[in-house]
Amino acid sequence: MINRRHFLTTVAVGTASAAALAACGTGSSSAGKTGSAENPVTINYTWWGNDDRAERTRKAIALFESKNPDVKVNGNFTDFAGYWQKRATEAAGGGLPDVMQWDLSYLRDYGQRNQLLDLGTVNINTDAFEKSLLPSGQIKGKTYGIPTSTNAFAVYYDPAKLASLGIAEPTGKWTYDEYNAFLTEVGTKSNGALFGGTDYTGVWWMFNIWLRQNNIEAFTEDGKLGFTKDDLKKWWNQTAALRGTPAIISEERVTQLAPKSPFGSNVTATEVTWDNFMAGYLADSGAKELKLVPVPSDDPDNLGLFLKPSMLMVASAKTQYKDAAARFIDFMVNDPEVGQIFKTSRGVPASKTQRDGTTFEGTDKLVVDYEKSIEQYLKDAPEPPIVGFGTLEASFKRIASDLNYGKLDINAATDAWFKEAEDLIKQNA
Amino acid sequence: MTTMATPTQSAPDAPAPHYNPKSESAGAKRAKSTFFHMVALALTAVVLYPGLWMIASAFKPNSEIGGANTSLWSSNFSMDNFVTAMEGIGGVSTLQFFTNSLVLAIGAVVGTVLSASVSAYAFARINFPGRGLFFGMMIATLLLPFHVVIIPQYIVFQQLGLVDTYIPLLIGKFLAADAFFVFLMVQFMRGLPAELDEAARIDGAGHARIFGSIMLPLMKPALISTSIFSFIWSWNDFLGPLLYLNTPDKYPLPLALRLFVDQTQSSDYGAMIAMSVLALLPVLIFFLIFQRYIVEGVSTQGLKG
Repeated sequence: MINRRHFLTTVAVGTASAAALAACGTGSSSAGKTGSAENPVTINYTWWGNDDRAERTRKAIALFESKNPDVKVNGNFTDFAGYWQKRATEAAGGGLPDVMQWDLSYLRDYGQRNQLLDLGTVNINTDAFEKSLLPSGQIKGKTYGIPTSTNAFAVYYDPAKLASLGIAEPTGKWTYDEYNAFLTEVGTKSNGALFGGTDYTGVWWMFNIWLRQNNIEAFTEDGKLGFTKDDLKKWWNQTAALRGTPAIISEERVTQLAPKSPFGSNVTATEVTWDNFMAGYLADSGAKELKLVPVPSDDPDNLGLFLKPSMLMVASAKTQYKDAAARFIDFMVNDPEVGQIFKTSRGVPASKTQRDGTTFEGTDKLVVDYEKSIEQYLKDAPEPPIVGFGTLEASFKRIASDLNYGKLDINAATDAWFKEAEDLIKQNA
Repeated sequence: MTTMATPTQSAPDAPAPHYNPKSESAGAKRAKSTFFHMVALALTAVVLYPGLWMIASAFKPNSEIGGANTSLWSSNFSMDNFVTAMEGIGGVSTLQFFTNSLVLAIGAVVGTVLSASVSAYAFARINFPGRGLFFGMMIATLLLPFHVVIIPQYIVFQQLGLVDTYIPLLIGKFLAADAFFVFLMVQFMRGLPAELDEAARIDGAGHARIFGSIMLPLMKPALISTSIFSFIWSWNDFLGPLLYLNTPDKYPLPLALRLFVDQTQSSDYGAMIAMSVLALLPVLIFFLIFQRYIVEGVSTQGLKG
């Protein structure tokens, strides 16, 4: 059967006969909202990711199509940076794909501009989800995204490197002072060959977790900053004594190593980041084994940890095939066989049905076990970040690195970041 | 050369053998020239180093690329990266990406050469009403940043149902939308003597005949410069294909290259670099074949002027 897409391709490659093609384009509007096995509807699904994800998604789509003969899924993918350029153009042109893989930091932006479908109006089963997780896909009571999977913050370490230095493996029950002492120990014992870690105070999410440990909200409900300059100064002072010592890798060195991380380059012994980076670190460093422990906290009962959707599924507000789109999303987030296909490559499956139906081995098991081990400490996930959050996160990192370079002192750095943040919030208000 | 030149020059009137300003200056010249070449070579090495780095890294295992690894060559020499690169991505073979890039690049060359030369002929040789205005408008499009027109253009092609075809990427080339090339050819044509087409007109040739039989053959250098540039630009274009193509089967190489590096998962730098090396080859070959014409193009342009 020659469908429209195939026909267009054939013609497009050979000629530039615009008029004839324009006629084809306008002639084929929707064949109806629902399809049948003989006359299926086609929905477009797009995601970012590498070769590996493309292969896994292809399998999942084939499975979906075999179970739903009335729907065909047309899958497309690009890299992460290009993905958002493309979405921005499509949103402006009114042509977003029916179903999309989504990132939390873009949810509010597109949701507020009514580009995304309210998934509360269609039939998607969310019974198997943690109740604390769902609000992260909701804005003002409307559900724009369903999490496919979760990740949590953790401290990574390489047990082999610690053993070679004769340092005991951490248990993950530590205060900030203990963590700092640990970083210093690594730097001293290795005589500077191995740094303790990167400056964790430059990581926005670690700051956010520290605020939660102190029962402070990062952003208030009306989208303002929930913390004061003094809080930020106190935070950046945490590692003031470590900067410039072997405990913390210098900013010059970090820049030299880019795009690889210091931890992936085997230059530091620990790293504080999301637990789904495991596979990447293993591949970059060539290490046999990496382990995860919880982040430090001065209050042993409040680690400030939460599960964050590592990615979400959303639908375009303009999709003509709401029913098919909803069924596809439901399948991708809940189906146990999809869990078997993706394992933890998207993060740990968010839906219990999917998680329980998946067997985890090796690295996958480490990440799943870590998230299980912190279950008792988990609190509600934060709301979708404010519009322009990506810029704030980047400027947090940039200003913290200036602090590390010694270009700014803590007071000046705090003032600089607050000015940028307040300007941005005013702009988007 | 200098040793040959010295005796003939100094023999007739050289009173003392030790006094020979010519040979001294030749020695100084040689030192200068050696110095110049040393500096030039050093600069070339600096400029070419990234290319060398790329080729060397293509043969390294992924974990030895970048990061804390500073040595250029690895002891673990392997072709694995090329094997991975040739396997393709997500069910699309690497050969397909090459074919797509080639289709786009050749389409761009053919379209640009055809349309820009005809338009240039009109601007340079036909005195139609409003020529100055249209020429000015064409030049004005050069000043318009690409990013300004992205969204309006996208909407137009979206409404026409042409997204996910090669039409949005090629139609502009066939309609002489690349003002730079039209301008280049207009300038070149203005340099050609008007007597040639006047003579042809006396012999009864119309515009089509003058263009086809007189102008096109004389314009070869300009046509070749245009071909080279439009080939390379199209081959390297990332944003256009990113916005207009959806199906991975239709992706050209620059999009495919990015798929090896994913910030949210593991990145296969080795395969990406190996594929970059492969992607570089056609451009390099194309340039090597036609590069002498670039020089020719520039020099004849000077002569004809």
